[in-house]
Parts: sequence; C-alpha cells; structure tokens
Amino acid sequence: MSRARFWRHACAAAVLLAACSRNPQPVAPAPAATDSAAARQRADSLAAAARRDSLAALARRDSLARAQAVADSLARAMAERARADSVRAQVLREPDSAAATLMPSGLEAARAATLAEPVHFELDRSDLTAEAQRRLDGKLAILRASPRLEIQIEGHCDERGPDEYNLALGNRRAAAAKRYLVEHGIDGARIGIISYGEERPADPGHTEESWARNRRAEFRLTRGVR
Amino acid sequence: MRRTLLAVLLLFPAPLRAQDTTRAPGGVRIGITYAPLTRASVAVVRTAAAPWLDSVRSIVERDLDQSDRFEIVQRPSAGDVQSLIASRAADYVVQVDTAAGGTRVLAIEVVTGRRVQQAQLPIAGIALPGGRRAVHRAADDIVRGVTGTPGVAATALLFVRGGRLMAVDADGYGAREVRAAGRPALSPAWSPDARWIAYTAFVPAGQPIVLQDLATGAREVVPATEYGLNITPAFSPDGRRLAFAHGTEAGTDLYVYDVARRCCVQRLTAGRGFADNLSPAWSPDGTRIAFISNRAGSPQLYVMAADGTGQEVLGRFDFGATGPTSSPAWSPDGSAIAFHREVGGVPQVFVLDLATRSVRQLTGAGRNEDPTWAPDGRHLAFVSDRSGAREIWVVDLETGRLRQVTNVGGARLPAWSPRLSASEGRE
Repeated sequence: MSRARFWRHACAAAVLLAACSRNPQPVAPAPAATDSAAARQRADSLAAAARRDSLAALARRDSLARAQAVADSLARAMAERARADSVRAQVLREPDSAAATLMPSGLEAARAATLAEPVHFELDRSDLTAEAQRRLDGKLAILRASPRLEIQIEGHCDERGPDEYNLALGNRRAAAAKRYLVEHGIDGARIGIISYGEERPADPGHTEESWARNRRAEFRLTRGVR
Repeated sequence: MRRTLLAVLLLFPAPLRAQDTTRAPGGVRIGITYAPLTRASVAVVRTAAAPWLDSVRSIVERDLDQSDRFEIVQRPSAGDVQSLIASRAADYVVQVDTAAGGTRVLAIEVVTGRRVQQAQLPIAGIALPGGRRAVHRAADDIVRGVTGTPGVAATALLFVRGGRLMAVDADGYGAREVRAAGRPALSPAWSPDARWIAYTAFVPAGQPIVLQDLATGAREVVPATEYGLNITPAFSPDGRRLAFAHGTEAGTDLYVYDVARRCCVQRLTAGRGFADNLSPAWSPDGTRIAFISNRAGSPQLYVMAADGTGQEVLGRFDFGATGPTSSPAWSPDGSAIAFHREVGGVPQVFVLDLATRSVRQLTGAGRNEDPTWAPDGRHLAFVSDRSGAREIWVVDLETGRLRQVTNVGGARLPAWSPRLSASEGRE
C-alpha cells in the first residue's frame, strides 16, 4: 500500500469514528397539550421523532459497522506496514539476530500438537492428499474453536529439485494448505504463509524416507488464544 | 544402454575441428571447436629479480593457461628471452620484470617482434589491495592483444555456501564471505557495473530482495518485496532494471523494478491457476527475458519480450521426454542459453543454440546445475558434485576442458561477475 493511500484510509476511518462517537441530536421537548388537536399534533410529532430516532439509530449502527470495518482494515494495513518496516529494519541489521520465538499457545497439549502436526506432499506436488486433508481437518476444529489463534504455514521441499524452483514450490504448498483452511471457513487474515524451499529440512538424510518427511507444510502459532 | 550411448553422443556432439578462421575475432560461437594443436604457444618468463615477480609470473602464466587459448611452454628459465625468441620455442613470450618502481608485463609476438601488450602495474607486490586483480587484468589484456577478446581472470564469482553469500576470484583464489542481510541469503546477482549485488534475504519478517553496495555494504529493500516470496533477481544488461520473481498465495510471477529511477514495479507474467514463473535471464541487448515456468505442468524454458508480451515456450527439444528445466543464463553474445535439466532425475547442464534451436548436453558425471556465463562467452561455471561435494567448476565450451574453482564443500547458485577493475567488486 502506498503512503498516500494509507493516509487516505486513515483519515476516512478517523472521520467515521468521529461521526459515530458524536452524541445524537436531542429531540425538542413537546409543549403541553391543551386540546385534542394539539394532542394529535403532539402524537404525530412524537411518532415523527420516534421515526427519526430509529432511522438515526439505524444510521448509527450502519456507520458503526462501516467504521468498524474501516478500523479493521486500517489495523490490518498498519500491521502490514509494521511488518514491511520490520523487514526493512532487519535487512539493515546483520543476520541471525532474531531466532524464532516460541509462542505460548494457551492450548492444551493435545490440541497444540494437532495444530503443529505437519502436512506432507508428493514429489513436486502441491495438491493435498487425503491424509493431508485429514490433518488439516483436525486443525480446522481448533481454529474454529479458538478464533483468536493465528498461524503461519511454512512450505518446505526435499533437496532434489532446483533450489530456487523449490522456493516457489514450497510457497505453493503453504498456499494450498491455507486455501483449504480458508475454503472451510477460516478467515484468511489469520493465516500467513512463507516458503523455505529446501533450506530447512526436517530430516537431514538423503533417502526416500527423509525426502518424504521433508516435503511438508509446517504450522507455527503467531498468536495464542489469550 | 541406449540411453548411455545417447548421453555419450550428446557429450561429444561434433568431432574436433580446426579453428574457424572465418569468424571475426571475439565472435565466439558455441560448437566451434579449437583443435588444441592450433592454439598459440606462450612462454611466461621473469627477467628481473624482485621478490614478488615469481608470484606475478605464475599468476600470469596460470591466467593465460586458464584462458584456454594458449599452449603454455613450461618452465622457461629466467633471462633466456632472446634464446626463446631465436629458437621460436613459443609463438608469444611474456616478459615479467620491474619498471619505474612497479611491475611490467610485456607480451611479444615472436615472429614479428611486435609488442602485443604492455602493462605497467603500479604495484611492487601482489599482496597490496588490488594487486592480484591488476595482474589478472594484465593477463586478460594479453589475451585481448592476441585473440581480440579479453580474458576473464579479473573476474569473481558470487555463490552461496551454508546460507551465506560468498565470493571467490575466478581462478579460485580467496574464497570469502560477503556480509549480507538474512540467513539464508540466496540467488546472488551482479549489477553490470559490479557496484551492486542483489539477492534474496531470509529475515524473520519476510523474504525481500536486497540491493547491496559491494564497497560500502549499504543495503536497500526493493519495493513490494517486503511481502511474500521474492527470489531470482536479475539486473538488465544496462543496469537500469531489475527483474525478479514474486510469490503470493496465487503463485509466483515475474516483475521488473526500475532501479535507475528507484521507482515503479511492473508485473510481467500473469498467473494462470497456480503457476510459478521465475529465474529471469535477460538477453544481452535487454529486449528479451528467458525464464522458467511450470504453467504447462513441468517447469520448462520460456522467453518473452522485456515488457512481458509475446510469451512462448523456448523449445521442447528432445522427443517429448524433456525433463524439468531450471536456471537459464543467456550467453553474453546472445546466441545461446545455458540451463540445467533433469536427465533420469539428475540435473545436467545444457546449452541451447538459439539460431538452430539445437541443444547440447555439456555434463554427464554427477549432478551439474546452475550454469553462469563468463563475460568472454566461452567459459561456463556451474555447480557439480563430481568431486564428492558441491563445488563450482568451469568448462571451456570450445575445448571441453574442465577445472574446479572452489574447494569449500557445498557451493551453490554461482553468479559470474563482469570484468572487474582493481577496485570493483570488492567486498
């Protein structure tokens, strides 16, 4: 997102938030009724005021929802910007500073293990096997039950393909796992993807078994239940 | 058995032929084979006694040898230049001595007595900064004086080892780490002026493409690569643009960044389904880009105009049995594209001749991958595990002569530099 667009969004959100936090216009107090005509007039004006009130309430609800949506997208944009800023900051620093920190999941051990279980792929494939789908179904239940959880899916490859092609392949594998979760109702904003190609094997061996273990997607928590 | 026979035939596609003298000097053509006996012979002799001259002499001699354009007359003793010339024991004599407080490298054509090349090196020792590079340049200039095309001794290769960026001189000297952002740092590429390198940096928050000033170490992130997967950067031959692959949840596509104006990222390929498009390789005139795409299933070699139009598959060459293809590199004269392709599950280096669309397999022993051209267009470096570990090797396409460049254990993704001055390409 460009800087200009970012600030347009920020301003729009600020205006909307200001609008909905303003107090509603007070309805003018009706004069005391002296006769039936006056009473009718008063009833009409009360009805009109009630209509105005409910319209105003509707409008308020609507603008609140809109403002909430804009605020959400603003928050996401700010998070994205913060991430981009940290990418730039990390490039300027020397390497190896930040090792992956372990996120306390707040999940009971069995559920945390199910969530972390890797999903495996066939050679040079990124489509999901029946077993991969079964494992993803296990994660679906946990993600649905704990809507605060956010994860990053890492795509990995075995060592046999070209290094750079494997980065694209790992990206496709992570994307395939994410797509499955999103198609089954998980908000895509909760799932990040990253590819490590063949750079981080789970098994350092050079056998068919090692390669099969290395063709995988891993699931890492980026936000716990609390 | 038939496969083996075919591989052998591919390895030796043509019998040795005499040098094709109808070609203009410097117009290197792949497939023309120099018969070793027709190469000029050269003797490199030291004619003064300064302590560093033995080193200079042996560097020049090895550079001329590794140019693959000379027969080296071995071990001429010092001081017998006149007898060498008189006996016509060599076609050329290179004399290494001192002059004006520095070093002189003088090449003489024996038959005519003509001075082919004279270099005055402002150094009294090769250990000084730029000293070796200056000697390499003198040797390269002798190659130019004799053949019309300079040698490539004054070049270096970037590569990756254990996730770290490394550089090594083209003669294998001085393998050293280039301090880079991220671990691993992958896919290093040179700018044509050798001032900048570009690479993929794996930092905790992403995988951006980083531009890094080699001399100062200053870094910047290519815009839009703060997000997603960003790999295989490649500078255009004029250095004004940088093509790279950007991966999202919808696949991987090629983009180009206007480096000259530090502005504007333009998309070149449009993903269909979840295709991957990566490894851009510019033609030397900057008008076309070869790349790898798996849009039709298996990754294959494609080409397009530099603005992304006119995308076409560049040859599905061998009998419908073409293996997955990767890592294209366009030759400096524009006539060929080198790449690697799996043959029976093992990568081998090939060269595609663009005029004839014919393909020549260069390697057969072990795994061989990631070719990169020397600026002279006749040498190709690649990664091979034929010695037991992955190392960088160089093949001379005209004679088939091979030499091992690195001995580091686990070299990958080499990128051959342009010609370097004494100060260029220094990390």
